[in-house]
Amino acid sequence: MASLSLKHIEKIYENGYHAVHDFNLEVEDKEFIIFVGPSGCGKSTTLRMIAGLEDISEGEFLIDGVKMNDVEPKDRDIAMVFQSYALYPHMTVRDNMGFALKLRKVPEAEINAKVEEVAKILDLEKLLDRKPKALSGGQRQRVAMGRAIVRNPKVFLMDEPLSNLDAKLRVQMRTEIAKLHERLGTTIIYVTHDQTEAMTLGTRIVVMKDGIVQQINSPEHLYNKPCNLFVAGFIGSPQMNFLDAVVEKKGTDTFLKVADFEIKLPADKAEAVKDYDGKTVVMGIRPEHLLDGRGKEAEQCVVKAPVEVRELLGAEAYLYFSLDGKQCTARVASDVDLTVGMEGTFAIDMNKLQLFDKETEKSLLWAE
Amino acid sequence: MTQNEKAAASRKRKHAIMIVLLVIVFILFIAPFILVLINVFKDQADITSNPLSLIGEHGFTTKNFPEAMEKMDFFNVFKNSLLITTCATILTILVSAMASFVIVRNGKWKACSMLFALMIASMVIPFQVLMVPLVSVYGGIFGILNSRLTLILMHTGFSVSMATFMFHGAIHSNIPLELEEAALIDGCSRWQTFWKIVFPLLKPTVATVAIIDAMAFWNDYLLPSLVLTDKEIYTIPIATQAFYGTYSTDIGLVMAALLLAMLPILILYLFLQKYIVAGVTAGAVKG
Repeated sequence: MASLSLKHIEKIYENGYHAVHDFNLEVEDKEFIIFVGPSGCGKSTTLRMIAGLEDISEGEFLIDGVKMNDVEPKDRDIAMVFQSYALYPHMTVRDNMGFALKLRKVPEAEINAKVEEVAKILDLEKLLDRKPKALSGGQRQRVAMGRAIVRNPKVFLMDEPLSNLDAKLRVQMRTEIAKLHERLGTTIIYVTHDQTEAMTLGTRIVVMKDGIVQQINSPEHLYNKPCNLFVAGFIGSPQMNFLDAVVEKKGTDTFLKVADFEIKLPADKAEAVKDYDGKTVVMGIRPEHLLDGRGKEAEQCVVKAPVEVRELLGAEAYLYFSLDGKQCTARVASDVDLTVGMEGTFAIDMNKLQLFDKETEKSLLWAE
Repeated sequence: MTQNEKAAASRKRKHAIMIVLLVIVFILFIAPFILVLINVFKDQADITSNPLSLIGEHGFTTKNFPEAMEKMDFFNVFKNSLLITTCATILTILVSAMASFVIVRNGKWKACSMLFALMIASMVIPFQVLMVPLVSVYGGIFGILNSRLTLILMHTGFSVSMATFMFHGAIHSNIPLELEEAALIDGCSRWQTFWKIVFPLLKPTVATVAIIDAMAFWNDYLLPSLVLTDKEIYTIPIATQAFYGTYSTDIGLVMAALLLAMLPILILYLFLQKYIVAGVTAGAVKG
């Protein structure tokens, strides 16, 4: 297995489109790195540069300290799982999985042994003599994984490998991939636009937007300490609620004025906005940190609004309401007796409150 | 009569007209072949007296075949036709499949798109326009007429544009780029990617091009008649000239020669038919 180093990587296409800006990342051995971001953010382009399928315009890419910029894809010792699986339709599952080894002139017996070993891991033994068109989506996905595993490469690259599966199978395969990473102990770089996949699989997540890396850190860190508005909004489902708030100092206390409500900031948060007196900041609070606030009015951390929609999900319910003209969501236990039309009282968990500069959109609490 | 009944009657009428039209077209197409088939087993007198009768007055005969084979030197001309058709067809498929792969995958390169545009443009130039300069250049200047190799290369040259056009469409719409990328990562060179991944997936198009070109080469009369002058290297269509005398023509022998000329290409068609249908419908529906 291997470590990767991407230094000041840029991708500029012939038509002048700047797809990736100054991408820097050090990937350690056995890490599971996720590139996440909306469509067109440059995550797949970066993965393809690592694979050698796109030229690197500027910067250096190294595997185990060896510069790879101009090395052919076949000589990089990587394996890739494509979004469409890219299985060779005219070959059987066995031939698909053994193709790379055959090209490397590995003896037939060794190829067969290796293919059968991997087929056993992925529960593909009975399908080895079938062609891809005779397989279901999930089976094709497993064959694509198997084709990569058989080679025992230094790095696995996965480009949205679960996006063509239905919701149930996606959850199942997600678990399979996590188990596989644990079992094989490989370095994996995985591209997705699904933040749930990113949060559940990655040891570290690279959040990208418009070709620029927004933040690189562990899922927990990104969730709890997003460095800007984009990361805060992208990570987490349902997404974080954002409200404009005016900072007001009253004596030794600092308050945020949101609509008609005044919220008293704890000391550490007050310190972060000490230069913003009278200015507007963006307050961010996740739906699960808006609690049923009835009886907590005295704590000066409460907002009130009529419930517009209630969605019951089983153990929990989403309550939608408008505050200051913006749609907000609260995630509460399903036994909270707030129904549509009732006046909701929501207490903000002040320890979890996020604050952002309205102009720069950067976090006022955490710097990356 | 209700509105629905009227519509149903109208549909039936249209259907009947279509069937009649199809039958007429079918008869027009099949009639020459049937004529050959029923007259080949008659002698000259029976053919002349009643060409439409199934069996002649003198009965069923197969004597036309050995006579026709001997007169046209059948085994030699069959060998020539087979060699020229096979070589030109294989060459056309190889050259055009490789050319279209390069053109499709280097679409941004202007030279490729210009070359492709030129190939398409060349398809609209009738052969008759090029006939005289072709013979004068290859015969007069290079002096390489009257050779099977020259005919093979000329057949290939004239058919490569159409074949490239067909392969271009097949690669463009049926071969995902991701397959080639997967092959590159698996360890293939560009050359291996083409031969191990792309070409096997072009099987329906290969069959379509093979049958279209093989038929054209096998049946072609005009080009071989311009290129080949030596009897030893005649193809079947040229060799059938032997039956057309100045004062008389033995129709029975002509029919036998025509049937012998037709059979190999019919057999090839029957073999490749399923691929041709697959080639025509490939990409029409989501797989």
